[in-house]
Amino acid sequence: MVEIEVVDKTDNTIRLFIRGVDVSFVNTLRRLILTEIPSMAVDDVVILENSSVLNDEILVHRLGLTPLTTDLDSYNLPEECPCQSEFGCNLCRVALALNVEAVEGTRTVYSGDLVSENPDVKPVSDRICIVKLVQDQKVKLEAYARLGKGKVHAKWQPVSMCAYKFFPQIKIDGKLCDACEDCVKVCPKAVFVKVGDKIEVRNVTDCTLCEDCMDACAKDPSAVELTWDKNAFIFDIESTGALPVERLVRESLNILDKKLKSFLKNLKKVK
Amino acid sequence: MEIKILKKTSNELKIEIEGEGHTFCNVLQKALLEDDAIEMAGYDIKHPLTSNPTVYVRTKGKRKPKAALIDAAKKMQKQNNEFKKSFERALKGWQRK
Repeated sequence: MVEIEVVDKTDNTIRLFIRGVDVSFVNTLRRLILTEIPSMAVDDVVILENSSVLNDEILVHRLGLTPLTTDLDSYNLPEECPCQSEFGCNLCRVALALNVEAVEGTRTVYSGDLVSENPDVKPVSDRICIVKLVQDQKVKLEAYARLGKGKVHAKWQPVSMCAYKFFPQIKIDGKLCDACEDCVKVCPKAVFVKVGDKIEVRNVTDCTLCEDCMDACAKDPSAVELTWDKNAFIFDIESTGALPVERLVRESLNILDKKLKSFLKNLKKVK
Repeated sequence: MEIKILKKTSNELKIEIEGEGHTFCNVLQKALLEDDAIEMAGYDIKHPLTSNPTVYVRTKGKRKPKAALIDAAKKMQKQNNEFKKSFERALKGWQRK
């Protein structure tokens, strides 16, 4: 029985408590989110003019790593697009233009200066610095964003962070513990609190399972017992803004579903 | 996802899965090992960039390895659906908060 609880959620981050699945399943979800969910990123750039101090290659690399909002339903992956063209078509490519000149004094080029042909595919933030120009320097280019997968290049990862940990379980043996506060001092996440003449566990979910509390305890055996539940996880996802987080989880499950269907179909075919 | 059979006996099956990696094979292995009729299940990726994974299944004899593979995949589908439903329920629970 799979039990999931959303503990915290914003537009770009989510924290889930997951119970009743094993590590391999959660790890597969993590790997799918990191490497298999398509997102938009600048892939080809035509530079018309670049008199900034940055080389073309570095400028283009910075553009590639700028996260773009992704419209997954209207665009095809280039390799799956019916056009099969090296240059792409309207269904697999979005053009973004950048034309900035420092006319008076210095000028910083921000991601917000990129003008997209599709308002649904634009930089996630307008305040990402791309290059700084001094007077009379100019950058003029056309960038082509395409869908891609994180396994090909990290610029296509839709997440900036996607990780899980086992659910920590901390027990303090009241008979052994003399409230010396060694574990309180050593814990990097402030999991322990001294209340009266007792040590209590707060913020269990902050625990990183480092076991320093067990080592710090002078008692033998240690009065603090730290274990973890092998079938319960704390799963954190942080989207770059390319796609909403709940969409990421749904997509990863759909991709696994597709893989399984294709596996079953092909397996039944072979003899 | 093309599948090639590399070795086949009455209780053994070795297949090559094109274009997959740890992402798919690890859950598949885990699902296979939960089956009591299976003696051994594992996968191997010779080189992460140039080769496809090979999955090896050996049953205790009474069961066809191919049937075990199909059952494992079906079990994964079931778990996946359950996870999906659970996640949607959890999201609704959060919106209500």
